[in-house]
Amino acid sequence: MIEQILASGVVLTTPILLAAIGGLVNRQAGIVNIALEGKMLSGAFVAIVISAATGSWLAATLAAALASTLIGWCFSLTITRLGANMITAGLGLNVLAAGAIGFLMSYAYGSSGTLRLPDVALLPHVFPQSVESVPLVGQLLANLDPLTILAVVAIAVLPFLLSATRFGLWIRATGNAAPVMRSVGLKPKLLQEASTAFAGFFAGLAGAQLALASIGIFNEGLTAGRGFIALAAFYFGRDRPWQTAAACLLFGLLDAAQIRMQTVGLPPRLIGALPYLMVLVALVVSQMRSLRRTQ
Amino acid sequence: MSNWMDRGLGFAVPLLIALSVSALVLLAIGESPLDTFSLMLTEGFGSPRRLASTLSAATPLLFTAVATAICFRAGVFNVGVDGAFLIGGLAAVVAGFSLPAELGWALAPLCLAIGSVFGAAWLFVPGWLLARLEVDEVVSTLMLNFIAVAITGYLVNGPFLSRQSGNNVTPPVHEAAELSRLMPPATLHSGFLLAIALLAAYAFWTRRTPAGLEGAWVGLNRRFSRMVGVSVQRTIILAMVLSGVVGGLGGAAHGLGQLYRFTDGFSAGYGFTGMAVALLAHNSPLGMLIGAILFGALASAGTTIQLFSDIPLDLVNIIQGIVMIFAVIELGRISIRRRAKA
Repeated sequence: MIEQILASGVVLTTPILLAAIGGLVNRQAGIVNIALEGKMLSGAFVAIVISAATGSWLAATLAAALASTLIGWCFSLTITRLGANMITAGLGLNVLAAGAIGFLMSYAYGSSGTLRLPDVALLPHVFPQSVESVPLVGQLLANLDPLTILAVVAIAVLPFLLSATRFGLWIRATGNAAPVMRSVGLKPKLLQEASTAFAGFFAGLAGAQLALASIGIFNEGLTAGRGFIALAAFYFGRDRPWQTAAACLLFGLLDAAQIRMQTVGLPPRLIGALPYLMVLVALVVSQMRSLRRTQ
Repeated sequence: MSNWMDRGLGFAVPLLIALSVSALVLLAIGESPLDTFSLMLTEGFGSPRRLASTLSAATPLLFTAVATAICFRAGVFNVGVDGAFLIGGLAAVVAGFSLPAELGWALAPLCLAIGSVFGAAWLFVPGWLLARLEVDEVVSTLMLNFIAVAITGYLVNGPFLSRQSGNNVTPPVHEAAELSRLMPPATLHSGFLLAIALLAAYAFWTRRTPAGLEGAWVGLNRRFSRMVGVSVQRTIILAMVLSGVVGGLGGAAHGLGQLYRFTDGFSAGYGFTGMAVALLAHNSPLGMLIGAILFGALASAGTTIQLFSDIPLDLVNIIQGIVMIFAVIELGRISIRRRAKA
């Protein structure tokens, strides 16, 4: 049973983690990305359509990432160039993405809610099925897909990228002191746009993983608030990569255990609210601490 | 005068952008935008019955728009009206079927009051957290929305589940708790009149009362407000609580007037559409009335248009999303504040 929870927990962690990676970089550059949900949904939709058309999971994944990158970049322009408010614009983008996808589905495919296409190529498994015999993590390893590995690699190198590369430092400087960036001749708006495009890229990957990891069917409710769970994760982890990843893993395992907790009488709906409640509590605790420090 | 021009432009530009995009979408699928829009106009306003269903669809939006505007004008970025709508709605409906029916005419007002109290208590939490601990209200109210969905979803599938009608619904409220229908068979109910009264009260509150004025000051400049002796903390909490009262009332009116029960999916994103309306109107009462009616017409005409043509109802969401993205261009003030805080 622990084997199963671990295996499905990791599968459920990956999309949250991928989206949170983009979101935390975005927030380090000073933009709170509330539209991760919409970009994930767009990525999932593109992934299914392209996977069915080409029969290649790689093409599908790349197309999903690129589509969401483009959406993210256009979205950031309304914030940086037109002065739109990032919160309401983000919520608006979520509504727009859901509307546009629903529109496309019922117009082009005549279906409402669910899109089933033939010959959808799913993500391959990295290891041969024989690893299943490894104790404890066998099932996990057998189900491992390339995007999960990418997410782990990304989270491993992200601290280095953010603290030791020029681009990473620029990103953080943009979020902390945009006027300073301007005064040394750099363009904070451009960096914010780049970081939002980056967030779009990873949200697109998250959508692709969600769509192609196991079922290969698109559904309007596929993301089911995971973009907001990712937001909760990087708030919980205070934008630091490893802490954020830990929060994602916790939320993923919680999601996997949810189905089992049901059998011991805990209502699944209430368990589903735990990530949100934890973020609220974490925010309160950290504010109390920082207020006490200033007093 | 120029202020009026600004407001008019602020209202018209996002709508025009949204309509142009949807016109392009319609052209792309080979439909005539002009025909579609004029069909929408007739379906939305063409007869008393259609007008009634438009106003009926506008009713929850009026509540949520006013609830949002109360906070936005005080510089409080409350995105949690949807949660207050759900909590208030469930509380009112539960009161509506569990209180004794013998209360008669007093039952409906009592249920409305209960809904508003629950809504107020719900938003008091993030208000207090913001005022006392400076907990970012966007995140707290956003998270509380999901928590409200979870709590109401659990209750409606557990303790308050109707034994007769199966899944995801509570028992219906007593007949005495129902709000009267204004133009049967249309679903327009007296909650609409309540919403109009609230809108008028909001207009009066913002312009003629000290508390309303202080709210605007706090929204414009917190330091100035503090200097002239306005309690910023109190104003923030008051704005949140009032927003909860209105949001909770909205949910209560929706439950007692429209559905007569609480179901899963009780709020079809009313909190967010109401936010779009408030943003579009820049918190002005008249603008919110027009905006809510427009979005109500979109929703009610969209449903009929989907029945008679190949145009999917999702067009309405496309329009709403674009309005939300572009309506905020003018809201520079709050965005500057947020950036400074971050």
